Amino acid sequence: MNLDLGGPGPGCSAMRVRRLAAGELSGAEMERTVAHVAGCARCAATQREMALEQEQLRRDVPFPQFAAGVAEKLAHRPRQTFVARWAPLAAAAGLALIAGVQVLRVPDDSGIRSKGAASAQIFVQDGRGIHELGLAPVSEGARLLVSLHPAGRKNVSVVLVEPGETSVIYAGAAVNGPLPQAFEWTGSKAATLRIVFADRPIDPAKPPRDADVIELPLHR
Amino acid sequence: MTVKALRVIPGGLAGMNAAGPSGLLEELYEKHAAAVYGRCRYLLRNDAEAKDALQDVFVKVLRALPEFREAASPSTWVLRIATHHCLNVMRSRKALWREQLLAVARERRQETEPPDRRELVRMLLAAAPEEAQEVAVMYFVDELTQAEIAQELSRSLPTVRKRLREFLECARAALKEALPDVMLPEGDDL
Ligand SMILES: [Zn+2]
Repeated sequence: MNLDLGGPGPGCSAMRVRRLAAGELSGAEMERTVAHVAGCARCAATQREMALEQEQLRRDVPFPQFAAGVAEKLAHRPRQTFVARWAPLAAAAGLALIAGVQVLRVPDDSGIRSKGAASAQIFVQDGRGIHELGLAPVSEGARLLVSLHPAGRKNVSVVLVEPGETSVIYAGAAVNGPLPQAFEWTGSKAATLRIVFADRPIDPAKPPRDADVIELPLHR
Repeated sequence: MTVKALRVIPGGLAGMNAAGPSGLLEELYEKHAAAVYGRCRYLLRNDAEAKDALQDVFVKVLRALPEFREAASPSTWVLRIATHHCLNVMRSRKALWREQLLAVARERRQETEPPDRRELVRMLLAAAPEEAQEVAVMYFVDELTQAEIAQELSRSLPTVRKRLREFLECARAALKEALPDVMLPEGDDL
């Protein structure tokens, strides 16, 4: 039996059908392709296959899941500066990333020790795009994202401490890079984001003595 | 836990992006992700691996944005990245293609029913050398002409021809064992 493995046919090309759909063809090439595809069973089959691919993508990997996965992988590339890691994503989001971001230090007057190399940063998305919060005020409606650098610590808890109120944002394995969830701070005056790194699972109410503790201030 | 001072946005940065102005990532998803996911599923035959590969491919695309923007055909360029990535994943696995071929041979109900050609191409890829694999996918799956492949890969037309012949030779040798009655075209017939 002779077997045809396929390949480009007279006027037929799966890639040309794809390029047509992606708006990459113009002029005579576009007209020729449109006319060909209209009367071609094989290219019609390619179009059906493409429709099926769209269905499968939206069913299996909806955009939020896709974007989260891409962000995660971008953040996890080892031995890269933070800007290099975030710049493509910021570009992808059509947002400006302020150059020269540095790991935010624990404020000297916090009175809380941070002995290890573990560190954390807060990123904010507001009217100016995505940038590091630093010590700037948090604007109303801004979205905050904590990014961790656990430096070998296994566990972390991230807690928002307000006068008379404590909210756990995250407690679990110390991810390297952004947390899976962003949040919006709805408080009115000031709050503290307390990040505790430890080698054992952490009870946010009672952080272990040998933990690395980082406190980052939030204010309006 | 109280949520009074806090509103959680699921999806982290992605949630932020989705909630914010739609950007290039969303455009890339709309235009190219379906084809890439289809390619990953076709080559890897494993949904979990395909999802992972899909994201890996777009990380590569984002890291090579200038190249992407300069590509004569972004669709072709992105699918090439996908093919290249999946071929690497396939190579890192143990070669299962021989068993897969034998399984196809067993499953054929009648001798007159040809095996699905696209499936056959995929299985035969593993039998071919690395440089021939990518050319074979571009020719048999993407249906690019040899001239188009030469242009896309910045290779000469004779080199592309040579790679296709290599693929067919290796494929023929692999088929002899599992599907001895199947004849493949000669390189000159392509
Ligand atoms: Zn056609």
